[in-house]
Amino acid sequence: MRRYWAVLALAALAIAGCGLSSETPRQESAPAASGPAKGKVTLQTWALKPKFTDYVQGVIDAFEKQNPGVEVEWLDQPGDGYSEKVLSQAAGGTLPDVVNLPPDFALPLARQGLLLDVEKADPKLADEYVTGGIDAYRFAGLTGVFGYPWYLNTDVNYWNSELLAKYGLDPGKPPADLDELIEQARILKDKSGGKVYLMSRKPGLGDFADVGAKILADDGKSFVFNTPEAAALLDKYRAAYKEGLLPKDVLTDAYAGNAKLFAEGRVAWTTGGANYIDSLKTDNPTLAPKVVPSAAMGTPPLYVQGVSVSAKSRSPQAAIALARFLTNAENQAAFAHLTSIFPSTKASAGDPFFSKSDGTNAGDAKVIAFTSLAKAKMLQPVQFNDAMRKVMEQQIALAVAGETSAKEALDTAVTKLNELLNQ
Amino acid sequence: MTAGHGTLGRARGDAGSGRHVRPEPVPRPGRKPVANQRWFTPWLLVAPAAIWLAVFNVWPSINTVVLAFTNAKPIGGGHFTGPANFRRALNDDQLADALLNSVVFMLVCLPLLTFLPLLLAVLVEKRLPGITFFRTAFYTPVIASAVVVAVIWGWLLNEQGMINGIARQLKIIQEPLPFLTDRWLLLFSAISLTVWKGLGYYMIIYLSALGNVRRELHEAAAVDGAGPVRRFFAITVPGVRNTMLLISVLISVSALRTFTELYVLSKGTGGPGGRDMSVVMLIQMYSRGFTGHLGYASALSILLFVLTIGPMLLLLRLNRKEA
Repeated sequence: MRRYWAVLALAALAIAGCGLSSETPRQESAPAASGPAKGKVTLQTWALKPKFTDYVQGVIDAFEKQNPGVEVEWLDQPGDGYSEKVLSQAAGGTLPDVVNLPPDFALPLARQGLLLDVEKADPKLADEYVTGGIDAYRFAGLTGVFGYPWYLNTDVNYWNSELLAKYGLDPGKPPADLDELIEQARILKDKSGGKVYLMSRKPGLGDFADVGAKILADDGKSFVFNTPEAAALLDKYRAAYKEGLLPKDVLTDAYAGNAKLFAEGRVAWTTGGANYIDSLKTDNPTLAPKVVPSAAMGTPPLYVQGVSVSAKSRSPQAAIALARFLTNAENQAAFAHLTSIFPSTKASAGDPFFSKSDGTNAGDAKVIAFTSLAKAKMLQPVQFNDAMRKVMEQQIALAVAGETSAKEALDTAVTKLNELLNQ
Repeated sequence: MTAGHGTLGRARGDAGSGRHVRPEPVPRPGRKPVANQRWFTPWLLVAPAAIWLAVFNVWPSINTVVLAFTNAKPIGGGHFTGPANFRRALNDDQLADALLNSVVFMLVCLPLLTFLPLLLAVLVEKRLPGITFFRTAFYTPVIASAVVVAVIWGWLLNEQGMINGIARQLKIIQEPLPFLTDRWLLLFSAISLTVWKGLGYYMIIYLSALGNVRRELHEAAAVDGAGPVRRFFAITVPGVRNTMLLISVLISVSALRTFTELYVLSKGTGGPGGRDMSVVMLIQMYSRGFTGHLGYASALSILLFVLTIGPMLLLLRLNRKEA
């Protein structure tokens, strides 16, 4: 009998203590940004050590000098597993005061009231940062802006000029749209005897947006990209795959698979950020000088990084001051001079550093990316999470392989994504 | 009379059971005998392990059951939703695929990993010059990291990998075989990898069991004219029957819980349409990230738990019947 009661008590304890709480979105009130900043604040960055240690430490030193009452503790997390790290910090109530969060990481935290509305705390936000950057941190159903936009980037096309020339294509005239891409892929395949590919990635949400398919309904509560335009695009990829214009393994390739094949010299086209050639210099130094950049086909994607302020910060004034200082025009410009990223501040737009190439292919890529940013858009909604990405890729792979029709794959993807979105 | 009967009875009992009469424990100088220790001493001794089990095993298990009836998320908790997650599982076609994959995985792995290691063990049991090399060679895949091995197999099996390359050179095939993108080929590639990696491990277990099979039986059977095959089935197999049963249970459970091989070979995608996902891959997919569906992932964990208990009970029942 005693055992029976002990089991009952344990079950009751488990049910009581399982950590369930309200899911209702909470909004934290933001403190005014006036008054001197004081206290100890933690700053968390994402994989900036050791390459940018001097830069970040320099910014921290300058901030501490300008704000004598504030002490900054800098934490840099490794590139892998960052989302899990932030998740454990958020769940454990140990989110750093100022934390580097891309918009898709910031959204769930903002919904739980874990991030400050920086627009409320900083009325000059809209005057200093570009609209696209700020909008990336505005979320449907919430009022406010939940992060300072930090740096921006977009995709650029990269072509292996040696392979193109070897197999009868002109590196100076890269394809401008999907039809031209497929046409040139056919030439490359025929002339290389199937040894080299031009195309090596499946289409994604960005491609659907590019052909005019609406991705998410205006209320943000359902995916709606199962349109005839998106189906027609998938059909083109399916025909290209069947013709052998894409590697067979593309069906299960991860996001970086295309860039990996490019670095190995097995594929003549990839897309990447403005700093891709710099990273290629490490992976394949002989290939890097032979790469020719061009503007992305269609609407370039906008990638935003930002810093958010924890709503539970014990020194919110100091945290806001630090986030603002880190992302101000001067510090962003200095950062952008070290690597090919672009400031989110309006004052940096006229900086000739970004609009003039130094004559290298990496410099050309930087200028192309900077020019593209003017029309770049966030093609992927912030609600699109890892589980959704996996489901989406699985359905696209089915359609490209020809195992199901494009329409059926898109309908299934939309149904499953909506289930994930609304749970 | 009574005293004499009692004495005889005890003596007979000891002799019949084969037990020895234990000498009285002699306490070491400066130490209290166990009987004189405080009542909580045994509890103190088991406390570290008990606390560890409670915190990292019992509590998460209880919490998993509780979460399975909620719509909990990693941040912000959730609400009690009753059996909604289990109802959702019933209509989840991806779970149906995953269950089918897990069952096929088990059904193919079970006979292969039960009998092939036994054959290997019989082969390497012989005391021949250089046999240690073969024992080591067969065991090497076991100590290799599962992820590393799966990555290497991925290189071998991809479109431009060695297997397709050789087959094309030999004109056996015109087009590369889609080992990593066809549903069944991918599943059987993962099964092959699992079998290859597990052979050495189970071979070692069989080797120790073979040591208990009496050599005289083999010799007597040989004298009676039984050949090696007959001796294998009539003497070796019955001799290691209990080990075989244990191995069958281990294989069934690990096959149902398979993850690494399918995950790495499909590069985490689960294959086109996600039709090569295992149940554990589904659990991982739903539980990860800021917006993970912990409730549904917990419900899947419970289903997997029930599924793994099934073959164990079946095999134990079979064992009891045969015994």
